[in-house]
Amino acid sequence: MDSFLAFVEGSDFSTWIRGDSMLAFPTIITLHTICMGILAGASAAIDLRILGVASGIPLGPLRRFYPLMWLALAINALTGVLMVIGYPTKQLTNPLFYIKLSLVALAVWLVYRIGADVLDAAKSGEKALTARAKGLAAASLATWGGLIVAGRLLEYTHKWELLGIRALT
Amino acid sequence: MDEIAPWEQLVRGTALHHFVYLYEPWVWPTCEILHYIGLSLLLGTVGLFDLRVLGVAKGIPPATIHRLIPWGIGGYILNVLTGIVFFSGHPDQYFYNNAGRLKALLMIIAGINIAAFYGSTAFPEMTKLPAGADAPTRIKVIAGVSLAMWVGVLICGRMLTWFRPPFFH
Repeated sequence: MDSFLAFVEGSDFSTWIRGDSMLAFPTIITLHTICMGILAGASAAIDLRILGVASGIPLGPLRRFYPLMWLALAINALTGVLMVIGYPTKQLTNPLFYIKLSLVALAVWLVYRIGADVLDAAKSGEKALTARAKGLAAASLATWGGLIVAGRLLEYTHKWELLGIRALT
Repeated sequence: MDEIAPWEQLVRGTALHHFVYLYEPWVWPTCEILHYIGLSLLLGTVGLFDLRVLGVAKGIPPATIHRLIPWGIGGYILNVLTGIVFFSGHPDQYFYNNAGRLKALLMIIAGINIAAFYGSTAFPEMTKLPAGADAPTRIKVIAGVSLAMWVGVLICGRMLTWFRPPFFH
Protein backbone atom coordinates (compact mmCIF):
# COMPACT_ATOMS: atom_id res chain seq x y z
CA MET A 1 0.00 0.00 0.00
CA ASP A 2 2.73 2.45 0.93
CA SER A 3 4.57 2.01 -2.35
CA PHE A 4 1.28 2.61 -4.15
CA LEU A 5 0.67 5.80 -2.15
CA ALA A 6 4.23 6.88 -2.92
CA PHE A 7 3.67 6.16 -6.61
CA VAL A 8 0.49 8.26 -6.71
CA GLU A 9 1.95 11.04 -4.58
CA GLY A 10 5.07 11.19 -6.72
CA SER A 11 3.19 11.46 -10.01
CA ASP A 12 3.21 14.66 -12.03
CA PHE A 13 -0.56 15.01 -11.72
CA SER A 14 -0.49 14.69 -7.92
CA THR A 15 2.36 17.20 -7.73
CA TRP A 16 0.42 19.62 -9.93
CA ILE A 17 -2.67 19.37 -7.68
CA ARG A 18 -0.55 20.27 -4.63
CA GLY A 19 1.36 22.94 -6.53
CA ASP A 20 1.09 26.70 -6.80
CA SER A 21 -1.43 26.85 -9.64
CA MET A 22 -4.65 28.60 -8.64
CA LEU A 23 -6.41 26.23 -11.05
CA ALA A 24 -5.27 23.27 -8.98
CA PHE A 25 -6.04 22.86 -5.27
CA PRO A 26 -7.69 26.28 -4.66
CA THR A 27 -10.17 25.77 -7.52
CA ILE A 28 -10.79 22.11 -6.66
CA ILE A 29 -11.57 22.78 -2.99
CA THR A 30 -13.70 25.84 -3.82
CA LEU A 31 -15.85 23.78 -6.22
CA HIS A 32 -16.06 21.07 -3.55
CA THR A 33 -17.33 23.63 -1.02
CA ILE A 34 -19.87 25.26 -3.39
CA CYS A 35 -21.32 21.87 -4.32
CA MET A 36 -21.34 20.79 -0.67
CA GLY A 37 -23.41 23.89 0.08
CA ILE A 38 -25.80 23.15 -2.79
CA LEU A 39 -26.23 19.45 -2.01
CA ALA A 40 -26.26 19.58 1.80
CA GLY A 41 -28.18 22.86 1.79
CA ALA A 42 -30.90 21.83 -0.66
CA SER A 43 -31.22 18.41 0.94
CA ALA A 44 -31.48 20.01 4.42
CA ALA A 45 -34.12 22.45 3.15
CA ILE A 46 -36.18 19.51 1.81
CA ASP A 47 -35.66 17.69 5.14
CA LEU A 48 -36.93 20.73 7.04
CA ARG A 49 -40.02 20.84 4.82
CA ILE A 50 -40.74 17.14 5.51
CA LEU A 51 -40.30 17.79 9.24
CA GLY A 52 -42.97 20.48 9.10
CA VAL A 53 -41.18 23.76 8.34
CA ALA A 54 -42.78 25.78 5.52
CA SER A 55 -45.44 23.11 5.21
CA GLY A 56 -47.14 25.04 2.39
CA ILE A 57 -44.43 23.91 -0.06
CA PRO A 58 -45.88 21.18 -2.30
CA LEU A 59 -43.60 18.13 -1.99
CA GLY A 60 -43.79 16.85 -5.58
CA PRO A 61 -42.21 19.86 -7.33
CA LEU A 62 -39.24 19.77 -4.92
CA ARG A 63 -38.10 16.89 -7.15
CA ARG A 64 -37.14 19.54 -9.71
CA PHE A 65 -34.15 20.47 -7.56
CA TYR A 66 -32.80 16.92 -7.75
CA PRO A 67 -30.91 17.25 -11.07
CA LEU A 68 -28.96 20.18 -9.60
CA MET A 69 -28.26 18.18 -6.43
CA TRP A 70 -27.04 15.15 -8.44
CA LEU A 71 -24.83 17.47 -10.50
CA ALA A 72 -23.35 18.86 -7.28
CA LEU A 73 -22.75 15.28 -6.09
CA ALA A 74 -20.99 14.37 -9.35
CA ILE A 75 -18.73 17.43 -9.12
CA ASN A 76 -17.93 16.60 -5.50
CA ALA A 77 -17.09 13.00 -6.36
CA LEU A 78 -14.72 14.28 -9.05
CA THR A 79 -13.13 17.02 -6.94
CA GLY A 80 -12.94 14.59 -4.02
CA VAL A 81 -11.00 12.08 -6.13
CA LEU A 82 -8.69 14.87 -7.30
CA MET A 83 -7.93 15.87 -3.71
CA VAL A 84 -7.18 12.25 -2.82
CA ILE A 85 -4.78 12.09 -5.79
CA GLY A 86 -3.16 15.28 -4.49
CA TYR A 87 -2.77 14.03 -0.91
CA PRO A 88 -3.16 10.22 -0.99
CA THR A 89 -1.14 9.50 2.17
CA LYS A 90 -2.78 12.26 4.16
CA GLN A 91 -6.27 11.12 3.18
CA LEU A 92 -6.06 7.35 2.92
CA THR A 93 -4.17 6.77 6.17
CA ASN A 94 -6.68 8.84 8.13
CA PRO A 95 -9.55 6.80 9.68
CA LEU A 96 -11.71 9.93 9.51
CA PHE A 97 -11.56 9.74 5.71
CA TYR A 98 -13.40 6.40 5.79
CA ILE A 99 -15.95 7.72 8.26
CA LYS A 100 -16.58 10.63 5.90
CA LEU A 101 -16.89 8.28 2.92
CA SER A 102 -19.41 6.12 4.80
CA LEU A 103 -21.42 9.21 5.73
CA VAL A 104 -21.41 10.30 2.07
CA ALA A 105 -22.83 6.91 1.07
CA LEU A 106 -25.51 7.17 3.78
CA ALA A 107 -26.38 10.78 2.87
CA VAL A 108 -26.69 9.94 -0.84
CA TRP A 109 -28.86 6.91 -0.07
CA LEU A 110 -31.12 9.11 2.11
CA VAL A 111 -31.41 11.78 -0.61
CA TYR A 112 -32.36 9.05 -3.09
CA ARG A 113 -34.89 7.42 -0.72
CA ILE A 114 -36.50 10.75 0.18
CA GLY A 115 -36.87 11.57 -3.52
CA ALA A 116 -38.32 8.19 -4.44
CA ASP A 117 -40.39 7.41 -1.33
CA VAL A 118 -41.49 10.81 -0.04
CA LEU A 119 -41.48 13.35 -2.89
CA ASP A 120 -42.64 10.99 -5.67
CA ALA A 121 -45.28 9.46 -3.38
CA ALA A 122 -46.65 12.96 -2.79
CA LYS A 123 -46.89 13.43 -6.57
CA SER A 124 -49.08 10.38 -6.89
CA GLY A 125 -51.51 11.82 -4.38
CA GLU A 126 -50.38 10.52 -1.00
CA LYS A 127 -50.99 13.36 1.40
CA ALA A 128 -49.93 12.37 4.91
CA LEU A 129 -46.27 12.45 5.79
CA THR A 130 -45.52 9.17 7.49
CA ALA A 131 -43.33 8.71 10.53
CA ARG A 132 -40.90 6.94 8.18
CA ALA A 133 -40.67 10.04 5.98
CA LYS A 134 -39.90 12.18 9.01
CA GLY A 135 -37.37 9.62 10.19
CA LEU A 136 -35.59 9.72 6.83
CA ALA A 137 -35.54 13.54 6.92
CA ALA A 138 -34.18 13.65 10.48
CA ALA A 139 -31.53 11.04 9.59
CA SER A 140 -30.59 13.08 6.52
CA LEU A 141 -30.15 16.29 8.58
CA ALA A 142 -28.02 14.43 11.13
CA THR A 143 -25.89 12.85 8.38
CA TRP A 144 -25.18 16.21 6.73
CA GLY A 145 -24.20 17.61 10.12
CA GLY A 146 -21.85 14.68 10.68
CA LEU A 147 -20.44 15.03 7.19
CA ILE A 148 -19.62 18.69 7.69
CA VAL A 149 -17.88 17.85 10.99
CA ALA A 150 -15.89 15.04 9.34
CA GLY A 151 -15.04 17.13 6.27
CA ARG A 152 -13.80 20.06 8.32
CA LEU A 153 -11.78 17.92 10.73
CA LEU A 154 -10.20 16.03 7.84
CA GLU A 155 -8.19 19.17 7.24
CA TYR A 156 -6.71 18.96 10.74
CA THR A 157 -6.06 15.37 11.70
CA HIS A 158 -3.57 13.43 9.65
CA LYS A 159 -2.53 10.05 10.91
CA TRP A 160 0.97 10.46 9.54
CA GLU A 161 1.32 13.66 11.48
CA LEU A 162 -0.12 12.25 14.67
CA LEU A 163 2.22 9.27 14.47
CA GLY A 164 5.15 11.44 13.59
CA ILE A 165 5.41 9.94 10.10
CA ARG A 166 6.66 12.51 7.65
CA ALA A 167 4.63 13.26 4.56
CA LEU A 168 6.31 12.33 1.31
CA THR A 169 6.32 15.93 0.18
CA MET B 1 5.07 44.65 9.01
CA ASP B 2 6.57 47.55 10.91
CA GLU B 3 3.82 48.46 13.28
CA ILE B 4 0.32 47.28 14.07
CA ALA B 5 -2.43 49.73 13.10
CA PRO B 6 -4.48 51.22 15.98
CA TRP B 7 -7.67 49.36 14.94
CA GLU B 8 -5.80 46.07 14.96
CA GLN B 9 -4.29 46.82 18.37
CA LEU B 10 -7.85 47.44 19.56
CA VAL B 11 -9.04 44.08 18.18
CA ARG B 12 -6.03 42.31 19.67
CA GLY B 13 -6.83 43.85 23.04
CA THR B 14 -10.32 42.34 23.27
CA ALA B 15 -11.22 39.45 25.54
CA LEU B 16 -12.48 37.56 22.48
CA HIS B 17 -9.06 37.80 20.83
CA HIS B 18 -7.37 36.42 23.94
CA PHE B 19 -9.95 33.65 24.19
CA VAL B 20 -9.34 32.58 20.56
CA TYR B 21 -5.57 32.85 21.07
CA LEU B 22 -5.71 30.67 24.17
CA TYR B 23 -8.08 27.97 22.89
CA GLU B 24 -7.45 28.17 19.14
CA PRO B 25 -6.87 24.39 18.60
CA TRP B 26 -10.50 23.62 19.39
CA VAL B 27 -12.21 27.02 19.02
CA TRP B 28 -11.13 27.42 15.40
CA PRO B 29 -12.29 24.03 14.03
CA THR B 30 -15.53 24.27 16.05
CA CYS B 31 -16.31 27.68 14.57
CA GLU B 32 -15.40 26.43 11.10
CA ILE B 33 -17.87 23.55 11.46
CA LEU B 34 -20.59 26.00 12.55
CA HIS B 35 -19.62 28.36 9.69
CA TYR B 36 -20.07 25.53 7.16
CA ILE B 37 -23.41 24.50 8.67
CA GLY B 38 -24.49 28.16 8.45
CA LEU B 39 -23.41 28.49 4.82
CA SER B 40 -25.28 25.31 3.90
CA LEU B 41 -28.46 26.60 5.55
CA LEU B 42 -28.09 29.97 3.81
CA LEU B 43 -27.34 28.50 0.39
CA GLY B 44 -29.97 25.77 0.78
CA THR B 45 -32.89 27.98 1.75
CA VAL B 46 -32.15 31.33 0.07
CA GLY B 47 -30.68 29.49 -2.93
CA LEU B 48 -33.77 27.32 -3.49
CA PHE B 49 -36.02 30.39 -3.19
CA ASP B 50 -33.86 32.27 -5.71
CA LEU B 51 -33.92 29.28 -8.08
CA ARG B 52 -37.73 29.05 -7.86
CA VAL B 53 -38.04 32.77 -8.70
CA LEU B 54 -35.66 32.17 -11.62
CA GLY B 55 -37.96 29.44 -12.93
CA VAL B 56 -36.77 26.13 -11.44
CA ALA B 57 -39.51 24.01 -9.79
CA LYS B 58 -42.27 26.36 -10.92
CA GLY B 59 -44.86 24.04 -9.35
CA ILE B 60 -43.94 25.63 -6.01
CA PRO B 61 -45.66 28.95 -5.18
CA PRO B 62 -42.73 31.30 -4.30
CA ALA B 63 -44.43 32.50 -1.08
CA THR B 64 -44.45 28.95 0.31
CA ILE B 65 -40.74 28.35 -0.26
CA HIS B 66 -40.06 31.83 1.15
CA ARG B 67 -41.14 30.38 4.53
CA LEU B 68 -37.73 28.63 4.63
CA ILE B 69 -35.91 31.99 4.66
CA PRO B 70 -35.84 32.35 8.51
CA TRP B 71 -33.57 29.26 8.52
CA GLY B 72 -31.29 31.01 6.04
CA ILE B 73 -31.24 34.09 8.29
CA GLY B 74 -30.36 31.77 11.18
CA GLY B 75 -27.47 30.40 9.12
CA TYR B 76 -26.38 33.94 8.28
CA ILE B 77 -26.40 34.99 11.96
CA LEU B 78 -24.38 31.86 12.82
CA ASN B 79 -21.86 32.86 10.17
CA VAL B 80 -21.63 36.48 11.30
CA LEU B 81 -20.98 35.32 14.88
CA THR B 82 -18.35 32.74 13.89
CA GLY B 83 -16.93 35.26 11.42
CA ILE B 84 -16.43 37.71 14.31
CA VAL B 85 -14.52 34.96 16.15
CA PHE B 86 -12.25 34.39 13.12
CA PHE B 87 -11.66 38.11 12.63
CA SER B 88 -10.93 38.70 16.32
CA GLY B 89 -8.44 35.84 16.32
CA HIS B 90 -6.44 36.92 13.27
CA PRO B 91 -7.65 40.36 12.15
CA ASP B 92 -4.70 41.01 9.80
CA GLN B 93 -5.31 37.77 7.93
CA TYR B 94 -8.70 39.07 6.79
CA PHE B 95 -8.22 42.84 6.63
CA TYR B 96 -5.05 42.87 4.51
CA ASN B 97 -6.52 40.32 2.14
CA ASN B 98 -8.04 41.10 -1.24
CA ALA B 99 -10.28 38.03 -1.04
CA GLY B 100 -11.50 39.27 2.36
CA ARG B 101 -12.17 42.75 1.00
CA LEU B 102 -14.03 41.41 -2.04
CA LYS B 103 -16.04 39.16 0.29
CA ALA B 104 -17.08 42.21 2.37
CA LEU B 105 -18.00 44.10 -0.82
CA LEU B 106 -20.14 41.20 -2.12
CA MET B 107 -21.90 41.00 1.26
CA ILE B 108 -22.70 44.72 1.06
CA ILE B 109 -24.11 44.26 -2.47
CA ALA B 110 -26.13 41.27 -1.22
CA GLY B 111 -27.45 43.49 1.59
CA ILE B 112 -28.48 46.27 -0.82
CA ASN B 113 -30.13 43.63 -3.00
CA ILE B 114 -32.11 42.32 0.00
CA ALA B 115 -33.20 45.90 0.80
CA ALA B 116 -34.27 46.34 -2.84
CA PHE B 117 -36.36 43.17 -2.57
CA TYR B 118 -38.15 43.76 0.72
CA GLY B 119 -38.26 47.55 0.45
CA SER B 120 -39.94 47.66 -2.96
CA THR B 121 -43.09 46.25 -4.51
CA ALA B 122 -41.05 43.17 -5.51
CA PHE B 123 -41.81 41.35 -2.24
CA PRO B 124 -45.63 41.79 -2.20
CA GLU B 125 -45.67 41.01 -5.92
CA MET B 126 -43.75 37.78 -5.27
CA THR B 127 -46.17 36.66 -2.55
CA LYS B 128 -49.05 36.82 -5.05
CA LEU B 129 -47.38 34.51 -7.59
CA PRO B 130 -49.25 31.20 -7.79
CA ALA B 131 -47.81 27.78 -8.63
CA GLY B 132 -46.64 27.65 -12.23
CA ALA B 133 -46.31 31.43 -12.56
CA ASP B 134 -43.27 33.02 -14.15
CA ALA B 135 -41.81 35.81 -11.98
CA PRO B 136 -41.46 39.32 -13.47
CA THR B 137 -37.98 40.03 -14.85
CA ARG B 138 -37.33 42.63 -12.13
CA ILE B 139 -37.76 40.03 -9.39
CA LYS B 140 -35.70 37.49 -11.36
CA VAL B 141 -32.82 39.97 -11.52
CA ILE B 142 -32.92 40.35 -7.71
CA ALA B 143 -32.93 36.54 -7.30
CA GLY B 144 -30.05 36.19 -9.76
CA VAL B 145 -27.99 38.85 -7.96
CA SER B 146 -28.71 37.13 -4.62
CA LEU B 147 -27.57 33.75 -5.92
CA ALA B 148 -24.44 35.21 -7.56
CA MET B 149 -23.50 37.20 -4.44
CA TRP B 150 -23.80 34.31 -1.98
CA VAL B 151 -21.85 31.94 -4.23
CA GLY B 152 -19.32 34.75 -4.67
CA VAL B 153 -19.07 35.23 -0.90
CA LEU B 154 -18.41 31.49 -0.55
CA ILE B 155 -15.70 31.57 -3.25
CA CYS B 156 -14.01 34.56 -1.58
CA GLY B 157 -14.20 32.80 1.78
CA ARG B 158 -12.40 29.80 0.37
CA MET B 159 -9.86 32.02 -1.38
CA LEU B 160 -8.87 33.84 1.84
CA THR B 161 -6.16 31.25 2.44
CA TRP B 162 -4.37 32.01 -0.81
CA PHE B 163 -4.58 35.79 -0.48
CA ARG B 164 -3.19 36.04 3.03
CA PRO B 165 -0.81 38.94 3.56
CA PRO B 166 2.86 37.92 3.47
CA PHE B 167 3.40 39.24 7.00
CA PHE B 168 0.59 37.05 8.37
CA HIS B 169 1.52 36.00 11.88
